[in-house]
Amino acid sequence: MTAEPGEITLRDATRSFNVRADQAHTLKGLLFGARAPQLPPVPALRSVTLTIRPGETVGMVGRNGAGKTSTLKVLAGIVPLQSGVVSCGGRIVSLLELGAGFGRDFSGRENIYLQGALYGFNKAQVQERVERIIDFSELGEFIDIPIKTYSAGMLVRLGFSVAAHLDADILLIDEILAVGDEAFQRKCLRCISERIASGTTVVLVSHDAGAIERVCQRVVVLDAGRAVFDGPTAEGLLHYHRLMGTEHSAGESVRPAADRAIEVIDIELRDAAGRASSVFQSGAPLQIVAALRARAPVERPSLTLEVRSQAGERVFLTFTELDGPLSSTAQLAFEIPALALLGGDYDVALTATDGEQAGPVDRTVRFSVAHQPGAEGIVDLRGSWRELEPLRAGL
Amino acid sequence: MVQYRYLFSQLVRRELRQKYMGSALGVLWYLANPLVLLGAYTLMFGVVLKLPHESDYPLFLMIGLVAWTFFQQALLAAAPSLIDQGGLIRKANFPRQTIPAATVTVQLITFCAVLVLLIPLTVAIRGRLSPALLLMPVLIALLFCFALGCALIVSALHAYFRDVVPVLTAAMLPWFFLTPIYYEPSTIPFFKDHALVRFCLEWVNPVAPFVEAMRWAVYGGRSGDWVWFVYALVAAAVALGLGTAVFRRARGELAVVL
Repeated sequence: MTAEPGEITLRDATRSFNVRADQAHTLKGLLFGARAPQLPPVPALRSVTLTIRPGETVGMVGRNGAGKTSTLKVLAGIVPLQSGVVSCGGRIVSLLELGAGFGRDFSGRENIYLQGALYGFNKAQVQERVERIIDFSELGEFIDIPIKTYSAGMLVRLGFSVAAHLDADILLIDEILAVGDEAFQRKCLRCISERIASGTTVVLVSHDAGAIERVCQRVVVLDAGRAVFDGPTAEGLLHYHRLMGTEHSAGESVRPAADRAIEVIDIELRDAAGRASSVFQSGAPLQIVAALRARAPVERPSLTLEVRSQAGERVFLTFTELDGPLSSTAQLAFEIPALALLGGDYDVALTATDGEQAGPVDRTVRFSVAHQPGAEGIVDLRGSWRELEPLRAGL
Repeated sequence: MVQYRYLFSQLVRRELRQKYMGSALGVLWYLANPLVLLGAYTLMFGVVLKLPHESDYPLFLMIGLVAWTFFQQALLAAAPSLIDQGGLIRKANFPRQTIPAATVTVQLITFCAVLVLLIPLTVAIRGRLSPALLLMPVLIALLFCFALGCALIVSALHAYFRDVVPVLTAAMLPWFFLTPIYYEPSTIPFFKDHALVRFCLEWVNPVAPFVEAMRWAVYGGRSGDWVWFVYALVAAAVALGLGTAVFRRARGELAVVL
């Protein structure tokens, strides 16, 4: 079966790995090892079926160990399948391990030539691209010193710059972009978008929902070696957050139960239907339900509610004095009629105090807002354009 | 395969550079090593122990020594080569045999540099060049193919069983003594009584015919010695075929076991 350039087909792909403490086999193991207890092989891919058309961009998400990297290695032809079919058309360029395939004693420039050679380029073909690669990497004069002196970020710059300029039909990128600084990450994403525009098939593994949202039309969610979701990005990320959300405890205590008179003992986030949830849509109602407990009667209880973005910026803070006194436990709900946040992860921090506003945070809980196309940032200002003077006035 | 020529030349150049980087004499060390050995063996076996031998003992010794050194270095360097270059193997899906092939080629380059010494040495010692010397390049090519076949086998095996390098290292010294490098079996009295041992030494040991054939080329042919040449041809073909077959079976899981 020959695939057209950029086309990826996985059919019933299955692969497992033997895990042993001593990775290396020895003759002793071969001769006498039959009696040694053998750990069962760990399945990395279980009957995964996936078809990606040329020019498609697919984000792959899932927990650690869900089989994302194994899938990329299978697609790159580095790891063979035990059963099933894999076929990828055209030139495949992968960016899997940080610094893999680099000679540490050689300069960045020399390593560019080696990387090109690894993908079957000849000298002239690399020479054509080398200046563009160096420009893109922004490594400047560092390009001519041995890469053993490079930082992790510099290695990613070099690795990505090379991979991006090798005219791949299929580009496979693992998590490693996260190592680069933010400006370079943005540049990489822009570059990936350009590659996509020029018809390259891209498979991107990332935990950064924002990055996936920006470049991918389609998301595959892997869980325990199976593709549990395959579809449009927004839905896929929602599915992924739900998958991850099952691991979130509702309300983590960030402070040991000190001898404070009052504290928040539980937070729960509820959706429009009143069900506990950790993923919400922009514009949908959100209820923050807090359970309070007082050890001794508190005259003027008050609550501080703060919402922070993933970067730690304060999105919203409100301080509310409650009608006291509170002597044992109580449950309150903070009702948000329409969530004015855009896609991303947010933390809710709640603190109960007896009068004074300052004090360490009692409990935090994280929630995710599903991405929506057409808007970026934190706040959903929910506006739209209206024509004051008709655009086509002259007609 | 052809597409990856540049990768091959890159690997060869990298290894050569890595070898000689930081040493003052550089490539000269590779000439110095056999020369020192040559001096030591000439002194020991030629002068002190007075082994019965062919005429022009230094030349006789030199041929065996450089051929053996190439074979030994090629195998010892190729065996761990796949592990050393594991990063490349985990990175892209290029033909894996490029790696051991590049390692053996690096040894070939140094081997040829030493062999170039043979020509002035032959002229100096024997005063003339034998026309059979023209067969030398063919013999070198055959020895290269033989070493490459063996290198493919040991490198693939070592990726799976890390005992291969220690076993190989241990085997090399006895193998050296069992190869007619500093002696000629026909001139040793012991072998006259033990024909079977001599037969094993000359025919079962696959390196021996290469040494004999090269001597034949340098010293000028005697009738009947073309058998060595045929043996070398067959040995090279068998080693290469076997090596390719073993390597093909091993290559799939390389990225997993490395």
